[in-house]
Formats: sequence, C-alpha cells, structure tokens
Amino acid sequence: MTKGAETCFHCALPIPTDCNLNVDIEGEQRPVCCPGCKAVAELIRDSGMSLYYSLRDAPDPGVGRPPAETAEWQVFDSEDMLAAFADQSRDHAETTIYVGGMYCAACSWLIETTLGKLQGVESVDVSPVTHRLRVRWRLADARFSSILAALAQLGYQPQPLAPENATRPELIEQRVALKRLLVASLGMMQVMMFAVGLYAGEFQGIDPDMQHFLRLVSFVVTTPVVFYAARPFFAAAWRGLIARKPGMDLPVSIAVGSAYAASVYATFTNGEAVWFDSVTMFVFFLTLGRFLEMRARHRSIDRSAALSAKLPNTATRIEAEGVAVVPVSQLIAGDLVKIRAGDAIPADGVIESGNTSVDEALLTGEARPQPKSRGDLIAAGSVNLDGLVEMRVTRTGGDTTLGTISRLSERARYTRPAFVTIADRVASYIVIALLGVATIVAAYWYFMAPERAFVITLSVLVVTCPCALALATPAAFAAAGSRLSQLRLLVTNGNAIEALSRGTTVMFDKTGTLTRGMPEITSVIVFDSSMTEHDCRLIAAALETASAHPLAKAFAMSASLPKVSRQHVEVGQGVSGTIDGRNWRIGSAQFVGGGASGEGNSVNMTATSVFLAVDGHLVAWFDVEDELRPDVAATLSDINRLGLRTALLSGDNRNAVEELATRLGIEEFYFECTPQRKLEIIEAAQGNGERVVMVGDGINDAPVLAGADTSIAPAHGALLAQTSADVIMLGDSLLPVTTAIRMSGKTMRIVRQNLAWAIVYNTLALPLAAAGLVPPWLAAIGMSASSLIVVLNALRLSRFN
Amino acid sequence: MSILYVLIPLALLLLGGAVWAFFWAVGSGQFDDLDTPAVRIIMDDDKKPDDGDAA
Repeated sequence: MTKGAETCFHCALPIPTDCNLNVDIEGEQRPVCCPGCKAVAELIRDSGMSLYYSLRDAPDPGVGRPPAETAEWQVFDSEDMLAAFADQSRDHAETTIYVGGMYCAACSWLIETTLGKLQGVESVDVSPVTHRLRVRWRLADARFSSILAALAQLGYQPQPLAPENATRPELIEQRVALKRLLVASLGMMQVMMFAVGLYAGEFQGIDPDMQHFLRLVSFVVTTPVVFYAARPFFAAAWRGLIARKPGMDLPVSIAVGSAYAASVYATFTNGEAVWFDSVTMFVFFLTLGRFLEMRARHRSIDRSAALSAKLPNTATRIEAEGVAVVPVSQLIAGDLVKIRAGDAIPADGVIESGNTSVDEALLTGEARPQPKSRGDLIAAGSVNLDGLVEMRVTRTGGDTTLGTISRLSERARYTRPAFVTIADRVASYIVIALLGVATIVAAYWYFMAPERAFVITLSVLVVTCPCALALATPAAFAAAGSRLSQLRLLVTNGNAIEALSRGTTVMFDKTGTLTRGMPEITSVIVFDSSMTEHDCRLIAAALETASAHPLAKAFAMSASLPKVSRQHVEVGQGVSGTIDGRNWRIGSAQFVGGGASGEGNSVNMTATSVFLAVDGHLVAWFDVEDELRPDVAATLSDINRLGLRTALLSGDNRNAVEELATRLGIEEFYFECTPQRKLEIIEAAQGNGERVVMVGDGINDAPVLAGADTSIAPAHGALLAQTSADVIMLGDSLLPVTTAIRMSGKTMRIVRQNLAWAIVYNTLALPLAAAGLVPPWLAAIGMSASSLIVVLNALRLSRFN
Repeated sequence: MSILYVLIPLALLLLGGAVWAFFWAVGSGQFDDLDTPAVRIIMDDDKKPDDGDAA
C-alpha cells in the first residue's frame, strides 16, 4: 500500500499527500481530502445525521467538492427567476430541482431531513430514481437561494428545472403502469370472488336471477380491466399489425378480446358460460410482468440528466441595456454572454473577445488546459480556467456537442441486444404459426363438437401465448442490468453481457486504468541553489505543455508560464526548449544528461523520475507518481482464475510497462503502443479466435475501445470514450471488471434455462389444449405460471454477488 | 340471499372509492419513490450528534 492509497472518508477520492485534514465522526478521526469535504462531513455530523455514512451504498465520486459561494445562488431569488422555475401561489412557491450526485436512499434521506429543517420549507419529496427533488416553501420565510445553497453545502449539485423539464418520462410511465396494475389486480380479486359464487352455482344449483346478477357485476368490473389495464396490449398488437410484424401482443389481444366479447354476449343472452375470471387473471399477470420489467429498466442511472448537471445554471448575458443574469435555458443562438474565469461554459459558441484557456476534460478526457482566443470555438460543459471572455452563442441545450454526445450514449443504452431482436423476430413467426394452429383447432372442433370449439380455441390461444419465450431473455438482461448498476457497473450496450460472457482475453490499458491516471509530483529535489522549487516547477510546466505524455499532466499549472521557444518533443524521452536564451531539457536521465541518474534512489516503485537540466547542468529532480488503483492485483488473479488471459497495452516506455507487468504477474505486455498499434494487437488476437475484452479509459484512444469485442471504461474517463464503451465502472476499484465477467456468464446460463423451460412448456401445453383437456382458467394459470417462473428465475440474478 | 343485491353494489362502490383514492395518490406523487420508504424506518431523524458512539 502506498501512502496515497488513503481515500477521503466523505467522497472516496484519494487524499493529496500534502493534505492533513480530519473529521471526528462518532468518536473516530476520519481523514478527508479537502476543506470542502471537511465542511460537508462536519455539517452532516452536526445535524446528527452521521448515520448517512453507514447507510449509503457507496461513496459518490464527484460529491464533496461544493461550490464555494452561496452568492451564486442569489440570482434565483429574483422575481423573474422564480417565475421561470417555480409555481407560485399567493404566499407559497413550489419547484423541482435536479440533484446531481444523488444515488441512493441514504442520500434522499439526508436531503429530506436537511431541507426539512430549514425554516419556511413546507414539504420535500425526493426521488432517487429520477434524481429529482420537489420542494415547497413559504415565500415569506424561506428563499429559493437558501434551499439551493443548502443542497450545495451537502455536496450535491443542484440544478433548478424549468417546469417543462421537471417531469421525467420514466416517472409518467411508472405512474400509468402503477394505475393499470392496480386496476388489474383489484379487478381480478373482485371477479375471482364472484367467480367462486358462479362455480359453486354450477355444482349446487343457483337462482338464475342471482347467476345473471353475478355475471353482470363481473362484466362491470372486467370492463375497465380490459379497456384500461389491457390497453397497452391492444395498442401494441395494432402497431404490430400495421407494421406487419405481429408480436406476442397479438395472440394476447385476440385471447383477451374474444374471451371478453364472448362473455359479454353470454351475459346478455343468458349463455352457457362466462370467462371473466380468466380474462382478468390473464391481464393481471401480463401487467405484473410488464411492470417488473419496467422497474428493472428504470433503475439504470439517469446519465443524460447527470450530464446536463455539468452545465451552469445561469449565464451572464450582455444586452443592450447592460448585463443580465439569465437561466441557461433562456439562452438562444446569437446571444452574447460573458464568462468569468472558473465558470463552466453554458453553451457552444465562438469567442468574440478575450483570451483564456479552457479545460475540456469532460468532453475529450484531455486534462491539460487548451488555449483559446478570439474566433475559437468553445464547447458547453468545458470550464473557463483563467481569462474573462465574451462568447457569441451558436448552439444551446441538446444541440451542443455535449448534448449530442450524451444523446449518443443514451441511444447506445437503448439499443436492444442483437439476439433479443432475433428472439423477437422468431416470436413473430411463432405467433403467426400459433394463429394458424388455433384456426385449425377451431375448424376441427367446429365440425366435431361445435359447442366446445370456442372454449378450446380460447385455451389454445391462452396456453400457448409465447410470453415465457418472449420474456426469457429480456427479463434476465433487465435483472442483470439492474444488479450490475447496484454493483456500480453501468451497461450501456445491450450486447455487452453476451459478448462479455464469451470473452477469452482481457486487455488492460495502463495509465488511467490500472493506475489512477492522475500523476502527481510527490517530491522535488533542487540541485541549483539559485533557483526555488517554484521556479523549477514553472519551467517544467512550460516545457511540458508540448508533451502528450501522460506524466506531463503532473506538471500542469494554471499560473502564467514563461515563454518557451524551439520547443521539441522526443517521444518517450522528454522535451527540450529555449527559455530566456537558455537551453532547457526535461525528461529521462539519459535524455537530459548532466550526470542525472535515477538508479536506486526512487523510494516508491510506482514513481518515475523526471529530470530537469539547463545547458547540460542538472537543476532538479522530480518524482512523479501515478498511483495504482486499489484491488488491481486481486482483480488480475480473479480473472486468471476464471480462465481468461490477461494482457497489458500501454503507450509508456518499455521500463515502466515491463516493471508493472512483472509486478502484477501479467505475462503478455506491449509497450510504446500508439492507438493504431493497440487496435492492431486487438485485431491480431481476434484473428486468432480470441474474444477481447478491453479495459481502458479511452483517453486519446476511443477507437481501441470500439474495436474490442467488449469494452469496459472507468467513469472518470472521457465522455467520448463512454459512448464507445459497453460497460462503465463507477468508483475507483477495478474489481467490478471481474464482477461483470462473472455476472455475464451467470446471466447467459439463466437465459438458456429460461429459453429451455419456455420451449418445453409450450410444446407440452399446445397438444393438451388442442385436445380439449385444458379449460380456459387452467390455461390462464398455466401461461401465467410459466411466465412467472421465467421472471423469478431471472430475478435470482438480483442476488448475485 | 337477497342481501347480496345490496352488498355487492356496495362493495363495488367501495372498490370505486379505493381506485379513485389510489389514482389520486399516484397522481400526487406519493408512489414516485418506491425504494426509499423501505429503508426509511431504520433512519433516526432525532439522533443527536453526541449521543452515538456505535460503529
């Protein structure tokens, strides 16, 4: 364990070595990483809510570095802002706030309790599923800004939502589904009760008036079940018919519709029998199945909204009569906005005046500041680091680069796995075949025993409903996906689970994947007494601006740097350049010369020595360390135990890669790889029949992730990489890689079991029903049971560890 | 048995009332969060900062 392995008690980010802050929580000293986290942790403790730490699922990366000023929120107190964001009555206001960084039930409790204690706040509703908070307060006693500031103080990223963005489509879908489920279940219970009376009447005789009455009330109760609860099935069946792709909703609709129609007919003509009980039961189980599937689908984390949380809430617009602070949602193309240093850029645009450098890490993963001046494009979501600029807005909201990328990743998430699509297509053939069989059965019985023809055909339709078959795969995938997201893995591509289960080789990227990718200077030794450490760092920073080497990041400084001329990069060696007429070199010992040697001096195995020399004299020695992620060794041995090969791909030099590979026991390693070379290695392995799982952050090499059969990226990486990654790991540990691989194997086993069961059930049930041995109520039970078995089998995945 | 002619319509009325109440509850957002209430019972709102030394 290196000293840097200690992580912040509050936010779980690594603690900088020069930081020595602690918080006393329940009698124990807990280390934290920054004054912000210290403040948040103390706030939580002082409000008596230390329980948060034991209840939360996992520390949330990103939470814990609160925006410094409360003043930022005060713009929301103006009349215009309140009108734009809140519903106001005479003395109350109510609004919806998106809360970035909230993931679990503990967060929602913390927020509710904290806000509930604010004076003037009347009600607080938090939904961790949609990351939304609904709050109502008295205008006289509380201010909008104090609510937002309280959230920010807890370390969340609040973002007031205009009413049109306030409700998530998922929420509406869930509400409607709940209503339908309730109508179906209450309807079923009632109709069952009446059915008991009717069945008993069959055996012991029943007053015809009473029979008619019971049928009539069954009809009254069943009608909303068919027309309200079962409406999605009819709608989907109709869409399938129009698109000439009949799905399993078609036989379901025919069965429900015809059984209902025949029962209604029998009710009003005093016919032989009614099947209201079968209808309601069938609808209830179908609705229940859909509801469970929907819940699993919604559980994956709402990432698109999380992205929009990276945008600022307000922008300073330059108008004819001066400047005005407006909500970002009111910006339109052509507006001129002013962006102060340190602010996030609210929209895509072109710089009209001013020079600055921006941090585009969110978009490209490139952590080094990019210089920008008049005429340059800057993208929403990047951060203006130093200068004050005026920007002409070109694109806003969903049209920005950020919006496009987040839409792309969103779309990837909704692509259906290839073999679910195949299963759907097969299901539509099966449906056509079933309808054919049902027609033949109907015709046969019409001639043999016309009075039984309808009942038997109905049973055939119900019992052979390929629900189990259709649910077999999606149910397992949905359960796996929701369990994986609890285990802090987001599956963004439907095909990922299947592809992962077939993986034979796991290839790792080095920087940013096995290591944290945030190199830091851990020690500086200055040999030249005429210079201070700060001077050396400034010169090093200036020289390293030219380098794309991962370690160069460690030198980046936001101070104004000396001007370098004749800057030259020797790939894998170092950088040379001229500052004030003197010749500086920074890099490896042999590159700078001047008697530099790193032999035996490095304290830490993971540290790399970087030397700075001027005109051939050694000036300073930096130890740069990129710390290993936790659990790397355990992850690798787990993968080997699963029987998969491991390999290391890196752009680093031979020494660094070889040393790390030997230490971790990786036999196959490649060094000094360009992205092109990495892709070739992967393709060569694929040519040998290997299926490659690539684990990498995709910074500068997103195509490599796309080229592998499956790819896993850590969440801190570039957004662009996340659009090509199939699985995204949240958090710091590498262990989720093995979890994902084991989970995928288990999921595919369950899918196979489910498919086998569904096929066996349908092939057994069809002949029995066609022979007239299955009454409709038994058919409904049989089909529901087979579907429920499939769903329950799939739900076993949600206990996977 | 003729009491059924009264009781069953009465049951249907109650059923209608229950459905209406549920629809209202769903519409007012009471069912939007189906996860937190399950764990809320174990969270103490009134815990004082200094009274707990349990791990």
